[in-house]
Amino acid sequence: MTETPMPTAYKDPKLPPPVALPEGPDWVGVLKVFDAHVAETLVLAARTLYPHQGLPERVYRRTIVAFDGLASKLPAVAQGFAEFVDLVDDAMPVPFRELSESYRVNGLKAIEGTAAFRLVQRTTVRFLYDDIEVWQAFGYEGASVHLGGYVNRGFNDLDWLPEPPPGI
Amino acid sequence: MTQYELDDSGVVVIVGSGAGGGTLAHELAKRGVEVVLLEAGKHLTADDFVNDEWGGYEMLSWLDKRTASGTWRAAKDHPFSPSWSCQVVGGTTTHWSACCYRFIEDELRAKTVYGDIAGASLIDWPITLEELNPYYDLAEAKMGVTRTNGLPGLPPNNNFKVMYAGAKALGLNVSTGRHAINSIPYDGRPATTQDGFTITGDKVGSRWSTLNVEIPRGLATGKLELRPRARVTFIEHDAAGKASAVVYVDADGVTHRQKARAVVLAGNCVETSRLLLHSKSARFPDGIANGWGHAGRHYLRHIIQTVWSIFDKPVYMHRGEIMGGMIDDFVRHDPARGYAGGYYIEMNSMGLPTTAAFLDPGWWGRDFVSVIEQYRNMAGIFMSGEDMPQPGNRVTLGEELDAFGVPVANIHYDDHPNDLKLRVHGYKTLSAIHAAAGAKRSIEAPSYPASHNLGSNRMAAKAEDGVLDGNGRAWEVPNLFIADGSTFSTGGACNPTLTIVALAIRQADFMAKQMAAGEL
Repeated sequence: MTETPMPTAYKDPKLPPPVALPEGPDWVGVLKVFDAHVAETLVLAARTLYPHQGLPERVYRRTIVAFDGLASKLPAVAQGFAEFVDLVDDAMPVPFRELSESYRVNGLKAIEGTAAFRLVQRTTVRFLYDDIEVWQAFGYEGASVHLGGYVNRGFNDLDWLPEPPPGI
Repeated sequence: MTQYELDDSGVVVIVGSGAGGGTLAHELAKRGVEVVLLEAGKHLTADDFVNDEWGGYEMLSWLDKRTASGTWRAAKDHPFSPSWSCQVVGGTTTHWSACCYRFIEDELRAKTVYGDIAGASLIDWPITLEELNPYYDLAEAKMGVTRTNGLPGLPPNNNFKVMYAGAKALGLNVSTGRHAINSIPYDGRPATTQDGFTITGDKVGSRWSTLNVEIPRGLATGKLELRPRARVTFIEHDAAGKASAVVYVDADGVTHRQKARAVVLAGNCVETSRLLLHSKSARFPDGIANGWGHAGRHYLRHIIQTVWSIFDKPVYMHRGEIMGGMIDDFVRHDPARGYAGGYYIEMNSMGLPTTAAFLDPGWWGRDFVSVIEQYRNMAGIFMSGEDMPQPGNRVTLGEELDAFGVPVANIHYDDHPNDLKLRVHGYKTLSAIHAAAGAKRSIEAPSYPASHNLGSNRMAAKAEDGVLDGNGRAWEVPNLFIADGSTFSTGGACNPTLTIVALAIRQADFMAKQMAAGEL
């Protein structure tokens, strides 16, 4: 990885900012559908699926807040998340939340073919990588038109390869 | 705005306002023809659009459920959205990345040039490149295609520099390509600001679309009425077998019947095929214009795939126009390569949200994480190649009904052996280009939901080979036309929009002349 600092990421000004969550276990208070066990199990599942060492817990929590939002609107989706928690909790003699990483990974592999796993995995990708803090961490700058695009902000600033000839 | 009565049987009714329908509406109105343009989606403006990948997707896309079957990867990865198009005024031209390449002559004579290929239902197009070229000229001028009409090409961006370095090292013919995106101000539209969000509606308006060019100009003639949020459910015909009216449901859920002098379907492959198949009657028990059984068949979606590669240093591929790069060395049919047809190599970039989603759906764990964390050092390269028509690759109607009482469409697609050969050749080439530019690792991403939807109501020289004649007119219904990619006799390799627009201009000429002669 290079040492150059990451540029600033922007969400489109028309879109809402990320949901503000308390730092401690109280964060589950914002949830509409999930209880604390379901929520914390899903957070750990998201982290096991996409274990980014450098990302803070709050981005995974925000992902699960988005899950909760879907579940509150779509009963079938709520059912899918509940099934997922039952599946991963029943896989071993201890609940998923208490498993070590290798057992968590094996438990997830064992249910990869289920609709519940697919729902959790796809929905994690959908929301985790749509989080502006994740954009910032990995160098995606996001919305640009309100800043005049990239025409004067580096659309052609790559300097480690030969410059193509004019008019190419 | 001009308004026509529901019982005005003098109007041409066009269903769908994208590249085909939106262009045809303007071209007919310009010729004095009275047109009602029905669009299922809302009439959004640049102010409504967002610079946000998922926000744009959810705002613009046709999100109604579909089902999928067959060996294609989309059936596994995207079982309820295997095909992709827009539901909004302007249709999929609000989303496209504006690559504008012409069919080459061999592609319009696929059956003759490629020969007999087991399992493939190839035909030659009923029109020649010589007939099409004047309309390509008109389309390029109206769309402001770069490197035509004196317009300069798009400037190279970071992702292009990677593609260029690799292509040059391999001796390939590379340029930034041709796009309906302004590199300089043209036709009242500004030059691109390289904002990188052409596919979420294009707030700047530097890209041609029917939303920002064709439809406003059509409305300005006083001959065109646009009705957004008009969801068409059925095509009716009279006792003589001519299309007579279109049934649609408005935003309030009220059903209307618009009478018509002629009907044009331009709802993209899946919706146009669905309407034909659903519009059954005693005369057309298998759907209107489907006496020969071709409606919905020979569905094509191009050999589309992307290679994403990781480099040692930052690329920031999201900066700038998305597909501003093109290599044409593999376009021509060359039997020595071991497959029929060809492919274009183009540039591709995505933001982090959709890169993560489409890199390899279903991929998780530490390996995925190690790749996506290097997003800023990633470059993308893409191909669009010709897939083989097969009669079993088709749009059909399922048992389940949608909210409007129309059966949900199923899309069946089995990969043809020629498709797989072309895919392998393409992946190797794309990865070799990035390797030659210094890639540390390349990921062969599978196709995402098909956006080059083609061929399912094809034009053919003989009625028994297709749904339409060479003017996009149904063989069995003389005043029923189609003006979208489903008319393509075969798919060719290039991005289809330029050809859809050229065919729509040609169709407007034909229809206006027929009307003037009292034959339509």
